[in-house]
Amino acid sequence: MAVRYRDSVEPVVTDGRDIDRDIGELLGEGAQQRSRGAHDEHIAEMAERWQALPEASRIDPTYYDRPLLNESVWHWAIPTYYYVGGVTGASLALGAAVQLFADRDLRALVRQCRWIGFAGACISGVLLVADLGRPMRFLNMLRVFRPTSPMNVGAWILSKVGAASSLAAIFDFELAGLSAGLSGLGLATYTGVLVANTAVPVWQESRRVLPILFGSSAMASAGCLLEMVGDQRGFAVARTFRISGQIAEIALAFAMEKQVARIERVARPLRSGFSGFLWRASAVLAASSLLVTVLPIKKRAKKFAAGILGTLGSLALRFAVDKAGLASARDPRASFHLQRAQLNFTNMGA
Amino acid sequence: MAAQKGFFTDTTLCIGCKACEVACKQWNQLPDDGFLFTGMSYDNTVHLGASTWRHVAFVERPVPMKPGNDGAFSWLFSSDVCKHCARAGCLESCPTGAIIRTEYGSVYVQPDVCNGCGYCIVNCPFGVIDRREEDGRAWKCTLCYDRLRADMQPACAKSCPTESIQFGEIAELRERAEKRVEKLHEQGLNSAYLYGANAAQQPGTEGLNAFFLLVDKPEMYNLPPNPTVPTKPAKAAWGSMAVGVLGLALAAIGSALLGGRERAS
Repeated sequence: MAVRYRDSVEPVVTDGRDIDRDIGELLGEGAQQRSRGAHDEHIAEMAERWQALPEASRIDPTYYDRPLLNESVWHWAIPTYYYVGGVTGASLALGAAVQLFADRDLRALVRQCRWIGFAGACISGVLLVADLGRPMRFLNMLRVFRPTSPMNVGAWILSKVGAASSLAAIFDFELAGLSAGLSGLGLATYTGVLVANTAVPVWQESRRVLPILFGSSAMASAGCLLEMVGDQRGFAVARTFRISGQIAEIALAFAMEKQVARIERVARPLRSGFSGFLWRASAVLAASSLLVTVLPIKKRAKKFAAGILGTLGSLALRFAVDKAGLASARDPRASFHLQRAQLNFTNMGA
Repeated sequence: MAAQKGFFTDTTLCIGCKACEVACKQWNQLPDDGFLFTGMSYDNTVHLGASTWRHVAFVERPVPMKPGNDGAFSWLFSSDVCKHCARAGCLESCPTGAIIRTEYGSVYVQPDVCNGCGYCIVNCPFGVIDRREEDGRAWKCTLCYDRLRADMQPACAKSCPTESIQFGEIAELRERAEKRVEKLHEQGLNSAYLYGANAAQQPGTEGLNAFFLLVDKPEMYNLPPNPTVPTKPAKAAWGSMAVGVLGLALAAIGSALLGGRERAS
């Protein structure tokens, strides 16, 4: 409840509806909507922006430069989940591959991969539930199966990863380890589809590369973690996994930017602002992690330096993509230019 | 199934009175979302959102309404609303099944099911649906589902004094809208056209159940020129994921083999 007309003779206590409960009942479709009341802070912020008389451009029109789209309401938990989910999926996949294709004396690595996967699946669940507007209703995610919604598909994948990795980690079930590895492949890559399957221009335009980019970033981050805390006998496996992931990560980030930049306005969030800084930083960090690998320094210092740089690089990548989406949704011209280009393309074909 | 119902918003008839905004807020008992003074013509509503289901746009153009008219100014009004798309991004992306298509063909969010994941918000190509911070759930126009069930028309259409907002069966509305465009063309307003009236005009959404008659580029009204349900282009993303899965599997196997050998040697 808030007080409206605070400075007037008769201040009014309101939930923002201004309905006198003695006269009217709250039964409307929107009546269940919770409200704390009038949004006073909003007013001050907008009033400040009113500086000059607006003028509509005839050539490149927008509606007072107001955003076309509503921007994402996801907070830090979601890009963090892209990272954690990636580590989870890639570790489980590596664990299954080692279980199948390497010697018995790498058993310790297999077990560690499973435990990282199990812990990661639990953390992933917590992060996702924490971001919901109504966290108590998280189980509603599994009330339907809807292939058109990557988020629904992802909820099923994560459930399966959670179940299989718990059986593999706690009870050492071999079959569960393989099953967790298979679904881990999905967990590490579907987040790219989740991001791309949106109306946000920069996310939508990255669709051909982003799932593979997220997958390679997942390899890099899982490799970094295993190198730093993993069993020493498995060190070479983890390092190979990380290096191949990082090379792919750098190359695919470059490819994605090129693809997105077909429309200059769409690529802008990757090239300027905070998201642009993070995007560049992620490539620099991944490259420095690779560079450290070939430096002639002590093995212990090397693995921690490479691991920390690589982890930061993967995190920066996930946050860069998230922040770029916010910036892109705020820019109406990104959507307009992209859609005009699509229309011109269709007209030329016709 | 009941007849498919929707809106035809004829923006040439809109006088910018905002009766639709008020009627919507009142009938649905929606809380306010801030009282702003924006300086954007007479538009202090700014955008559709969780608690704003009708929004009148005010466009000030430095050109006359029709060629040959006096003066170099025209003022356009347009009452924006959820389009209830034939292929709705919000509905297809909803992971809980909270968003459904009703017997009237409208798209409805069930407040008792929605868990506020926020995915519909980034999937709406029109920027319609939004989450209210204090409430935690996604909200948008319901096409007055409660009123339709009681054989009444939506509150905005009922309150519109100029019949700029017309409610009815979609097939009939389309026919009426086409006649209106013809008439306007006869009167010399050649810029009049229909926005999203059918799948041929707007293949991305396969037509809107709430379509518009406009007289300038859609961008002028903050409408996208070629909106597309994100599920359509996202087919490429699933393909990319398949490549990613394969690559990741090969890389894992390769690392197991190569790394294992390096240790042995």
